[in-house]
Amino acid sequence: MSRFSKTLNALALAGAMAAVVAPAVALDRYQGVGRAATAAEVKAWDIDVRPDFTGLPKGRGTVDQGIEVWEKNCASCHGAFGESNEVFTPLVGGTTVDDIKTGHVKALITGSFPQRTTLMKVATVSTLFDYIQRAMPWTAPKSLKPDEVYAVVAYLLNLAEVVPADFELSDQNIAEVQARMPNRNGMTTDHGMWPGASAAAGGIGNGGKPDTRNLACMKDCKKDVEVVSFLPAYAQDAHGNLAEQNRPVGQTRGKHTGDPSQDAAAATPSVAAAALALANEKGCMACHGVANKIVGPAYSDVAAKYKGQADAGTRLMAKIKAGGQGAWGAVPMPPQGHVKDEELKQLVQWILDGAKAQ
Amino acid sequence: MANPMRIRASAKDGVTEVRVLMSHVMETGQRKDASGALIPAHFITELTAKHNDKVVLSAQFGPSVSTNPYLAFKFKGGAKGDKVTVGWTDNKGESRADEVQIS
Repeated sequence: MSRFSKTLNALALAGAMAAVVAPAVALDRYQGVGRAATAAEVKAWDIDVRPDFTGLPKGRGTVDQGIEVWEKNCASCHGAFGESNEVFTPLVGGTTVDDIKTGHVKALITGSFPQRTTLMKVATVSTLFDYIQRAMPWTAPKSLKPDEVYAVVAYLLNLAEVVPADFELSDQNIAEVQARMPNRNGMTTDHGMWPGASAAAGGIGNGGKPDTRNLACMKDCKKDVEVVSFLPAYAQDAHGNLAEQNRPVGQTRGKHTGDPSQDAAAATPSVAAAALALANEKGCMACHGVANKIVGPAYSDVAAKYKGQADAGTRLMAKIKAGGQGAWGAVPMPPQGHVKDEELKQLVQWILDGAKAQ
Repeated sequence: MANPMRIRASAKDGVTEVRVLMSHVMETGQRKDASGALIPAHFITELTAKHNDKVVLSAQFGPSVSTNPYLAFKFKGGAKGDKVTVGWTDNKGESRADEVQIS
Protein backbone atom coordinates (compact mmCIF):
# COMPACT_ATOMS: atom_id res chain seq x y z
CA MET A 1 0.00 0.00 0.00
CA SER A 2 1.29 3.42 -0.85
CA ARG A 3 1.72 6.10 1.68
CA PHE A 4 -0.96 8.08 -0.10
CA SER A 5 -3.66 5.47 0.45
CA LYS A 6 -2.60 5.07 4.08
CA THR A 7 -3.15 8.75 4.57
CA LEU A 8 -6.53 8.45 2.91
CA ASN A 9 -7.45 5.54 5.15
CA ALA A 10 -6.43 7.45 8.22
CA LEU A 11 -8.50 10.42 7.13
CA ALA A 12 -11.49 8.26 6.30
CA LEU A 13 -11.24 6.51 9.64
CA ALA A 14 -10.91 9.75 11.51
CA GLY A 15 -13.81 11.16 9.54
CA ALA A 16 -16.00 8.16 10.22
CA MET A 17 -15.25 8.21 13.91
CA ALA A 18 -15.73 11.92 14.16
CA ALA A 19 -19.04 11.73 12.34
CA VAL A 20 -20.34 9.45 15.07
CA VAL A 21 -18.84 11.29 18.01
CA ALA A 22 -19.00 14.95 17.06
CA PRO A 23 -18.31 16.49 13.66
CA ALA A 24 -16.88 19.64 15.26
CA VAL A 25 -13.94 17.65 16.68
CA ALA A 26 -12.83 16.64 13.21
CA LEU A 27 -12.89 20.21 12.05
CA ASP A 28 -10.77 21.29 14.99
CA ARG A 29 -8.25 18.53 14.55
CA TYR A 30 -8.02 18.68 10.77
CA GLN A 31 -8.08 22.34 9.98
CA GLY A 32 -9.18 22.99 6.44
CA VAL A 33 -10.30 19.40 5.83
CA GLY A 34 -13.98 18.94 5.18
CA ARG A 35 -16.95 20.56 6.84
CA ALA A 36 -19.83 19.46 9.01
CA ALA A 37 -22.61 17.71 7.08
CA THR A 38 -25.68 19.84 6.72
CA ALA A 39 -29.00 18.69 8.15
CA ALA A 40 -30.28 18.06 4.62
CA GLU A 41 -27.28 15.91 3.76
CA VAL A 42 -27.71 13.82 6.89
CA LYS A 43 -31.40 13.46 6.15
CA ALA A 44 -30.69 12.20 2.64
CA TRP A 45 -28.51 9.42 4.03
CA ASP A 46 -30.57 8.66 7.10
CA ILE A 47 -33.08 6.30 5.52
CA ASP A 48 -32.84 3.24 7.75
CA VAL A 49 -35.99 1.76 9.22
CA ARG A 50 -35.44 -0.01 12.51
CA PRO A 51 -37.32 -2.86 14.16
CA ASP A 52 -39.03 -0.36 16.48
CA PHE A 53 -40.08 1.53 13.30
CA THR A 54 -37.81 4.48 13.97
CA GLY A 55 -37.22 6.11 10.62
CA LEU A 56 -40.35 4.66 9.02
CA PRO A 57 -41.78 7.17 6.55
CA LYS A 58 -45.50 7.93 6.62
CA GLY A 59 -47.49 6.31 3.88
CA ARG A 60 -49.86 3.56 2.87
CA GLY A 61 -50.26 0.98 0.15
CA THR A 62 -52.68 -1.82 -0.68
CA VAL A 63 -51.99 -5.32 -1.92
CA ASP A 64 -53.58 -4.44 -5.27
CA GLN A 65 -51.34 -1.42 -5.72
CA GLY A 66 -48.47 -3.69 -4.78
CA ILE A 67 -49.31 -6.05 -7.63
CA GLU A 68 -48.94 -3.19 -10.11
CA VAL A 69 -45.58 -2.07 -8.73
CA TRP A 70 -44.51 -5.70 -8.54
CA GLU A 71 -45.35 -6.46 -12.16
CA LYS A 72 -43.48 -3.40 -13.34
CA ASN A 73 -40.35 -3.53 -11.17
CA CYS A 74 -39.97 -6.83 -9.38
CA ALA A 75 -41.55 -9.72 -11.28
CA SER A 76 -38.86 -9.94 -13.94
CA CYS A 77 -36.38 -11.26 -11.38
CA HIS A 78 -38.52 -12.58 -8.53
CA GLY A 79 -41.38 -14.09 -10.52
CA ALA A 80 -45.01 -13.07 -10.55
CA PHE A 81 -45.61 -14.61 -7.13
CA GLY A 82 -42.16 -14.13 -5.60
CA GLU A 83 -41.69 -17.83 -6.20
CA SER A 84 -39.05 -17.67 -8.95
CA ASN A 85 -35.82 -19.53 -8.40
CA GLU A 86 -34.25 -18.36 -11.62
CA VAL A 87 -32.37 -15.22 -10.69
CA PHE A 88 -32.58 -15.22 -6.92
CA THR A 89 -33.82 -17.74 -4.40
CA PRO A 90 -37.55 -17.51 -3.84
CA LEU A 91 -38.85 -14.73 -1.62
CA VAL A 92 -42.05 -16.45 -0.61
CA GLY A 93 -42.89 -19.99 0.40
CA GLY A 94 -42.26 -22.41 3.22
CA THR A 95 -44.35 -20.57 5.77
CA THR A 96 -47.61 -21.92 7.11
CA VAL A 97 -50.60 -20.58 9.01
CA ASP A 98 -49.20 -22.35 12.05
CA ASP A 99 -45.92 -20.47 11.74
CA ILE A 100 -47.81 -17.17 11.80
CA LYS A 101 -49.40 -18.24 15.09
CA THR A 102 -46.22 -19.45 16.76
CA GLY A 103 -43.72 -17.01 15.29
CA HIS A 104 -41.35 -19.88 14.54
CA VAL A 105 -40.95 -21.24 11.00
CA LYS A 106 -41.16 -24.99 11.34
CA ALA A 107 -39.69 -25.68 7.90
CA LEU A 108 -36.40 -24.13 9.06
CA ILE A 109 -36.11 -26.94 11.61
CA THR A 110 -37.62 -29.86 9.70
CA GLY A 111 -36.15 -28.91 6.33
CA SER A 112 -39.46 -29.72 4.68
CA PHE A 113 -39.10 -26.81 2.27
CA PRO A 114 -36.20 -27.11 -0.18
CA GLN A 115 -34.94 -23.57 0.34
CA ARG A 116 -34.83 -20.85 2.92
CA THR A 117 -36.99 -18.13 1.47
CA THR A 118 -36.87 -14.53 2.59
CA LEU A 119 -40.25 -14.75 4.28
CA MET A 120 -39.10 -17.84 6.16
CA LYS A 121 -36.07 -16.08 7.56
CA VAL A 122 -36.92 -12.44 8.08
CA ALA A 123 -37.94 -11.74 11.65
CA THR A 124 -38.89 -8.09 11.39
CA VAL A 125 -41.18 -6.49 8.83
CA SER A 126 -39.11 -3.33 9.15
CA THR A 127 -36.23 -5.19 7.52
CA LEU A 128 -38.38 -5.97 4.49
CA PHE A 129 -39.39 -2.34 4.24
CA ASP A 130 -35.87 -1.04 4.78
CA TYR A 131 -34.27 -3.37 2.29
CA ILE A 132 -36.79 -2.74 -0.47
CA GLN A 133 -36.66 1.00 0.10
CA ARG A 134 -32.87 1.15 0.10
CA ALA A 135 -31.86 -1.48 -2.45
CA MET A 136 -34.74 -2.33 -4.76
CA PRO A 137 -35.25 -2.51 -7.66
CA TRP A 138 -31.72 -3.66 -8.32
CA THR A 139 -31.36 -1.47 -11.38
CA ALA A 140 -32.72 1.66 -9.72
CA PRO A 141 -32.39 1.52 -5.95
CA LYS A 142 -34.18 4.15 -3.85
CA SER A 143 -36.46 4.91 -6.78
CA LEU A 144 -39.66 3.66 -5.11
CA LYS A 145 -41.78 6.18 -3.27
CA PRO A 146 -42.74 5.31 0.33
CA ASP A 147 -46.31 4.47 -0.73
CA GLU A 148 -44.98 2.08 -3.36
CA VAL A 149 -42.72 0.39 -0.82
CA TYR A 150 -45.72 -0.04 1.50
CA ALA A 151 -47.67 -1.53 -1.40
CA VAL A 152 -44.91 -3.98 -2.37
CA VAL A 153 -44.43 -5.08 1.23
CA ALA A 154 -48.19 -5.56 1.52
CA TYR A 155 -48.18 -7.70 -1.63
CA LEU A 156 -45.28 -9.84 -0.37
CA LEU A 157 -46.99 -10.31 2.97
CA ASN A 158 -50.18 -11.27 1.16
CA LEU A 159 -48.28 -13.87 -0.88
CA ALA A 160 -47.06 -15.34 2.39
CA GLU A 161 -50.64 -15.20 3.70
CA VAL A 162 -49.63 -12.91 6.54
CA VAL A 163 -52.22 -10.33 5.47
CA PRO A 164 -55.47 -10.74 3.51
CA ALA A 165 -55.85 -9.71 -0.15
CA ASP A 166 -57.78 -6.53 0.66
CA PHE A 167 -55.21 -5.32 3.16
CA GLU A 168 -53.80 -1.82 3.21
CA LEU A 169 -50.42 -1.53 4.91
CA SER A 170 -49.58 1.80 6.50
CA ASP A 171 -47.30 3.28 9.11
CA GLN A 172 -50.26 3.00 11.49
CA ASN A 173 -50.83 -0.76 11.27
CA ILE A 174 -47.34 -2.07 10.45
CA ALA A 175 -46.79 -2.92 14.12
CA GLU A 176 -49.82 -5.24 14.00
CA VAL A 177 -48.28 -6.95 10.97
CA GLN A 178 -45.06 -7.42 12.92
CA ALA A 179 -47.05 -9.49 15.42
CA ARG A 180 -47.95 -11.86 12.57
CA MET A 181 -44.50 -12.30 10.98
CA PRO A 182 -43.85 -16.05 10.57
CA ASN A 183 -40.31 -16.01 11.96
CA ARG A 184 -40.73 -13.16 14.45
CA ASN A 185 -39.60 -15.34 17.37
CA GLY A 186 -36.92 -17.08 15.37
CA MET A 187 -34.22 -14.46 15.74
CA THR A 188 -31.75 -14.54 18.58
CA THR A 189 -29.16 -11.93 19.32
CA ASP A 190 -27.70 -13.89 22.19
CA HIS A 191 -24.51 -14.80 20.42
CA GLY A 192 -21.09 -13.39 19.77
CA MET A 193 -21.94 -11.86 16.41
CA TRP A 194 -23.86 -9.14 18.18
CA PRO A 195 -21.90 -6.51 20.01
CA GLY A 196 -22.45 -5.07 23.42
CA ALA A 197 -23.85 -6.24 26.68
CA SER A 198 -26.02 -9.31 27.08
CA ALA A 199 -29.74 -9.12 26.49
CA ALA A 200 -30.31 -9.55 30.22
CA ALA A 201 -28.19 -6.48 30.91
CA GLY A 202 -30.15 -4.37 28.46
CA GLY A 203 -27.89 -4.85 25.45
CA ILE A 204 -28.45 -6.85 22.31
CA GLY A 205 -25.48 -9.21 22.39
CA ASN A 206 -24.05 -11.72 24.81
CA GLY A 207 -21.16 -9.62 26.00
CA GLY A 208 -18.92 -10.65 23.14
CA LYS A 209 -18.65 -14.28 24.17
CA PRO A 210 -17.87 -16.34 21.09
CA ASP A 211 -20.21 -19.10 20.00
CA THR A 212 -17.45 -21.61 19.56
CA ARG A 213 -14.68 -22.64 21.86
CA ASN A 214 -11.64 -23.73 19.94
CA LEU A 215 -8.99 -24.83 22.38
CA ALA A 216 -5.68 -25.04 20.59
CA CYS A 217 -3.62 -28.04 21.69
CA MET A 218 -0.42 -26.60 23.10
CA LYS A 219 1.18 -29.61 24.81
CA ASP A 220 2.56 -33.03 23.91
CA CYS A 221 3.19 -31.70 20.44
CA LYS A 222 5.06 -34.00 18.06
CA LYS A 223 8.61 -32.92 17.45
CA ASP A 224 9.25 -34.53 14.07
CA VAL A 225 7.12 -34.39 11.02
CA GLU A 226 6.24 -37.89 9.98
CA VAL A 227 4.87 -38.47 6.51
CA VAL A 228 2.36 -41.26 6.94
CA SER A 229 0.80 -41.28 3.50
CA PHE A 230 1.44 -39.89 0.06
CA LEU A 231 0.02 -40.14 -3.42
CA PRO A 232 1.04 -43.32 -5.24
CA ALA A 233 3.46 -42.70 -8.11
CA TYR A 234 0.92 -43.41 -10.81
CA ALA A 235 -1.37 -40.70 -9.44
CA GLN A 236 1.24 -38.01 -8.94
CA ASP A 237 1.22 -36.70 -12.49
CA ALA A 238 -2.53 -36.66 -12.87
CA HIS A 239 -2.20 -33.02 -13.92
CA GLY A 240 1.15 -33.33 -15.67
CA ASN A 241 4.39 -32.01 -14.30
CA LEU A 242 3.46 -29.06 -12.12
CA ALA A 243 7.01 -27.74 -12.20
CA GLU A 244 6.67 -27.14 -15.93
CA GLN A 245 3.35 -25.41 -15.55
CA ASN A 246 4.49 -22.72 -13.15
CA ARG A 247 6.94 -19.90 -13.49
CA PRO A 248 10.32 -20.56 -11.84
CA VAL A 249 10.02 -17.20 -10.05
CA GLY A 250 7.51 -15.76 -7.64
CA GLN A 251 5.70 -17.20 -4.66
CA THR A 252 4.01 -20.12 -6.35
CA ARG A 253 6.43 -22.70 -7.69
CA GLY A 254 5.38 -25.96 -9.19
CA LYS A 255 6.40 -29.14 -7.44
CA HIS A 256 7.95 -31.66 -9.76
CA THR A 257 5.35 -34.33 -10.24
CA GLY A 258 5.43 -37.48 -12.29
CA ASP A 259 8.35 -39.60 -13.41
CA PRO A 260 11.23 -38.99 -10.97
CA SER A 261 13.81 -39.86 -13.67
CA GLN A 262 13.02 -36.48 -15.21
CA ASP A 263 14.27 -34.85 -12.05
CA ALA A 264 17.83 -35.00 -13.33
CA ALA A 265 16.83 -33.42 -16.61
CA ALA A 266 14.92 -30.75 -14.78
CA ALA A 267 17.89 -30.17 -12.49
CA THR A 268 20.42 -29.61 -15.32
CA PRO A 269 19.56 -25.97 -16.04
CA SER A 270 19.59 -25.26 -12.35
CA VAL A 271 23.37 -25.87 -12.25
CA ALA A 272 23.79 -22.59 -14.10
CA ALA A 273 21.19 -20.96 -11.89
CA ALA A 274 23.03 -22.19 -8.79
CA ALA A 275 26.34 -20.83 -10.10
CA LEU A 276 24.73 -17.48 -10.83
CA ALA A 277 23.32 -17.43 -7.31
CA LEU A 278 26.76 -18.29 -5.96
CA ALA A 279 28.36 -15.51 -8.01
CA ASN A 280 25.84 -13.11 -6.55
CA GLU A 281 26.46 -14.37 -3.06
CA LYS A 282 30.25 -14.08 -3.32
CA GLY A 283 30.07 -10.55 -4.63
CA CYS A 284 31.42 -11.30 -8.13
CA MET A 285 28.47 -9.61 -9.78
CA ALA A 286 29.37 -6.28 -8.20
CA CYS A 287 32.22 -5.82 -10.69
CA HIS A 288 31.41 -8.35 -13.46
CA GLY A 289 28.33 -8.54 -15.63
CA VAL A 290 27.26 -11.65 -17.47
CA ALA A 291 27.34 -9.94 -20.88
CA ASN A 292 28.41 -6.40 -20.03
CA LYS A 293 31.53 -4.78 -18.71
CA ILE A 294 31.09 -3.08 -15.34
CA VAL A 295 34.41 -2.53 -13.53
CA GLY A 296 35.86 -5.84 -14.60
CA PRO A 297 35.27 -7.69 -17.88
CA ALA A 298 32.00 -9.35 -18.81
CA TYR A 299 31.91 -13.11 -18.26
CA SER A 300 31.03 -13.64 -21.88
CA ASP A 301 34.26 -11.82 -22.85
CA VAL A 302 36.27 -13.95 -20.42
CA ALA A 303 34.74 -17.11 -21.83
CA ALA A 304 35.57 -15.97 -25.37
CA LYS A 305 39.18 -15.17 -24.45
CA TYR A 306 39.85 -18.56 -22.86
CA LYS A 307 37.83 -20.57 -25.33
CA GLY A 308 39.48 -23.82 -26.42
CA GLN A 309 42.34 -23.61 -23.89
CA ALA A 310 42.61 -26.84 -21.98
CA ASP A 311 44.21 -25.38 -18.86
CA ALA A 312 41.94 -22.33 -18.76
CA GLY A 313 40.06 -23.64 -15.69
CA THR A 314 43.10 -24.02 -13.47
CA ARG A 315 44.65 -20.76 -14.63
CA LEU A 316 41.46 -18.81 -14.03
CA MET A 317 41.01 -20.35 -10.60
CA ALA A 318 44.50 -19.28 -9.64
CA LYS A 319 43.97 -15.78 -11.00
CA ILE A 320 40.73 -15.32 -9.10
CA LYS A 321 42.24 -16.59 -5.88
CA ALA A 322 45.34 -14.39 -6.06
CA GLY A 323 43.82 -11.35 -7.68
CA GLY A 324 45.50 -9.55 -10.54
CA GLN A 325 45.90 -6.54 -12.73
CA GLY A 326 46.75 -5.84 -16.35
CA ALA A 327 45.01 -8.61 -18.24
CA TRP A 328 41.83 -6.54 -18.75
CA GLY A 329 43.03 -3.03 -17.97
CA ALA A 330 44.38 -0.97 -15.09
CA VAL A 331 41.67 -1.68 -12.53
CA PRO A 332 42.98 -4.41 -10.20
CA MET A 333 40.97 -7.42 -9.09
CA PRO A 334 41.45 -8.05 -5.38
CA PRO A 335 42.37 -11.57 -4.20
CA GLN A 336 39.26 -13.69 -3.55
CA GLY A 337 40.51 -15.87 -0.70
CA HIS A 338 37.07 -16.23 0.83
CA VAL A 339 35.80 -18.42 -2.03
CA LYS A 340 36.31 -22.11 -1.37
CA ASP A 341 38.12 -24.16 -4.01
CA GLU A 342 35.03 -26.21 -4.71
CA GLU A 343 32.90 -23.12 -5.25
CA LEU A 344 35.62 -21.56 -7.30
CA LYS A 345 35.64 -24.56 -9.59
CA GLN A 346 31.90 -24.31 -10.00
CA LEU A 347 32.12 -20.61 -10.82
CA VAL A 348 34.94 -20.95 -13.30
CA GLN A 349 33.24 -23.82 -15.05
CA TRP A 350 30.10 -21.71 -15.26
CA ILE A 351 32.01 -18.74 -16.70
CA LEU A 352 33.78 -20.86 -19.29
CA ASP A 353 30.45 -22.43 -20.25
CA GLY A 354 29.21 -18.99 -21.18
CA ALA A 355 27.81 -17.80 -17.81
CA LYS A 356 24.23 -18.66 -18.65
CA ALA A 357 21.48 -17.64 -16.24
CA GLN A 358 19.55 -20.90 -16.63
CA MET B 1 -59.05 -29.08 0.83
CA ALA B 2 -55.88 -27.79 -0.68
CA ASN B 3 -54.73 -24.22 -0.42
CA PRO B 4 -56.05 -21.84 -3.08
CA MET B 5 -54.11 -21.31 -6.28
CA ARG B 6 -52.70 -17.93 -7.07
CA ILE B 7 -53.83 -16.93 -10.53
CA ARG B 8 -53.17 -13.78 -12.44
CA ALA B 9 -54.64 -13.13 -15.87
CA SER B 10 -53.92 -9.99 -17.83
CA ALA B 11 -55.17 -9.11 -21.33
CA LYS B 12 -53.04 -7.08 -23.70
CA ASP B 13 -53.47 -6.58 -27.45
CA GLY B 14 -56.03 -9.34 -27.71
CA VAL B 15 -53.86 -11.92 -25.95
CA THR B 16 -54.43 -12.99 -22.37
CA GLU B 17 -51.50 -14.15 -20.30
CA VAL B 18 -52.38 -16.40 -17.40
CA ARG B 19 -49.95 -17.25 -14.62
CA VAL B 20 -50.81 -19.82 -12.01
CA LEU B 21 -49.02 -20.90 -8.86
CA MET B 22 -50.57 -24.09 -7.53
CA SER B 23 -50.15 -25.30 -4.00
CA HIS B 24 -49.60 -29.05 -4.06
CA VAL B 25 -47.08 -31.47 -2.55
CA MET B 26 -46.61 -33.31 -5.89
CA GLU B 27 -45.27 -36.39 -4.12
CA THR B 28 -43.80 -38.82 -6.67
CA GLY B 29 -44.28 -42.05 -4.76
CA GLN B 30 -40.56 -42.78 -5.03
CA ARG B 31 -39.36 -41.05 -1.89
CA LYS B 32 -38.92 -42.69 1.45
CA ASP B 33 -39.46 -41.09 4.79
CA ALA B 34 -37.03 -41.17 7.71
CA SER B 35 -38.17 -44.65 8.76
CA GLY B 36 -37.63 -46.04 5.26
CA ALA B 37 -41.28 -46.37 4.32
CA LEU B 38 -42.37 -45.19 0.89
CA ILE B 39 -44.24 -41.90 0.87
CA PRO B 40 -47.39 -42.58 -1.16
CA ALA B 41 -47.69 -40.83 -4.51
CA HIS B 42 -49.80 -37.71 -4.49
CA PHE B 43 -49.67 -35.54 -7.57
CA ILE B 44 -51.86 -33.57 -9.95
CA THR B 45 -52.96 -35.61 -12.95
CA GLU B 46 -55.20 -33.29 -14.87
CA LEU B 47 -55.45 -29.58 -15.25
CA THR B 48 -58.00 -27.54 -17.13
CA ALA B 49 -58.09 -23.82 -17.76
CA LYS B 50 -61.27 -22.15 -18.98
CA HIS B 51 -61.97 -18.74 -20.40
CA ASN B 52 -65.53 -18.08 -19.31
CA ASP B 53 -66.88 -21.57 -20.10
CA LYS B 54 -64.61 -22.43 -23.00
CA VAL B 55 -61.66 -24.71 -22.34
CA VAL B 56 -58.44 -22.97 -23.47
CA LEU B 57 -55.89 -25.31 -21.95
CA SER B 58 -56.06 -28.90 -20.92
CA ALA B 59 -53.00 -30.65 -19.54
CA GLN B 60 -51.94 -33.94 -18.04
CA PHE B 61 -49.50 -33.64 -15.17
CA GLY B 62 -47.36 -36.38 -13.73
CA PRO B 63 -44.98 -37.11 -10.88
CA SER B 64 -42.12 -35.28 -12.61
CA VAL B 65 -43.71 -31.89 -12.03
CA SER B 66 -42.28 -29.98 -9.09
CA THR B 67 -43.84 -29.19 -5.77
CA ASN B 68 -46.07 -26.10 -5.92
CA PRO B 69 -46.08 -26.01 -9.72
CA TYR B 70 -45.92 -22.73 -11.59
CA LEU B 71 -47.70 -22.58 -14.94
CA ALA B 72 -47.89 -19.72 -17.41
CA PHE B 73 -49.68 -19.72 -20.75
CA LYS B 74 -51.29 -17.34 -23.24
CA PHE B 75 -54.44 -17.60 -25.26
CA LYS B 76 -55.96 -15.41 -27.93
CA GLY B 77 -59.00 -13.45 -26.91
CA GLY B 78 -60.17 -12.46 -23.49
CA ALA B 79 -61.16 -9.03 -22.31
CA LYS B 80 -61.01 -7.23 -19.05
CA GLY B 81 -63.58 -8.56 -16.63
CA ASP B 82 -63.82 -11.99 -18.26
CA LYS B 83 -63.55 -15.02 -16.03
CA VAL B 84 -60.58 -17.37 -16.09
CA THR B 85 -60.97 -20.60 -14.20
CA VAL B 86 -58.15 -23.04 -13.51
CA GLY B 87 -58.87 -26.42 -11.98
CA TRP B 88 -56.88 -29.54 -11.24
CA THR B 89 -57.56 -33.08 -10.13
CA ASP B 90 -54.96 -35.26 -8.43
CA ASN B 91 -54.43 -39.00 -8.24
CA LYS B 92 -56.22 -39.21 -4.92
CA GLY B 93 -59.32 -37.74 -6.48
CA GLU B 94 -58.95 -34.39 -4.76
CA SER B 95 -59.62 -31.36 -6.86
CA ARG B 96 -59.55 -27.63 -6.66
CA ALA B 97 -60.71 -24.86 -8.96
CA ASP B 98 -60.07 -21.16 -8.64
CA GLU B 99 -61.40 -18.26 -10.60
CA VAL B 100 -60.10 -14.79 -11.35
CA GLN B 101 -61.16 -11.88 -13.50
CA ILE B 102 -58.89 -10.79 -16.31
CA SER B 103 -57.27 -7.48 -15.54
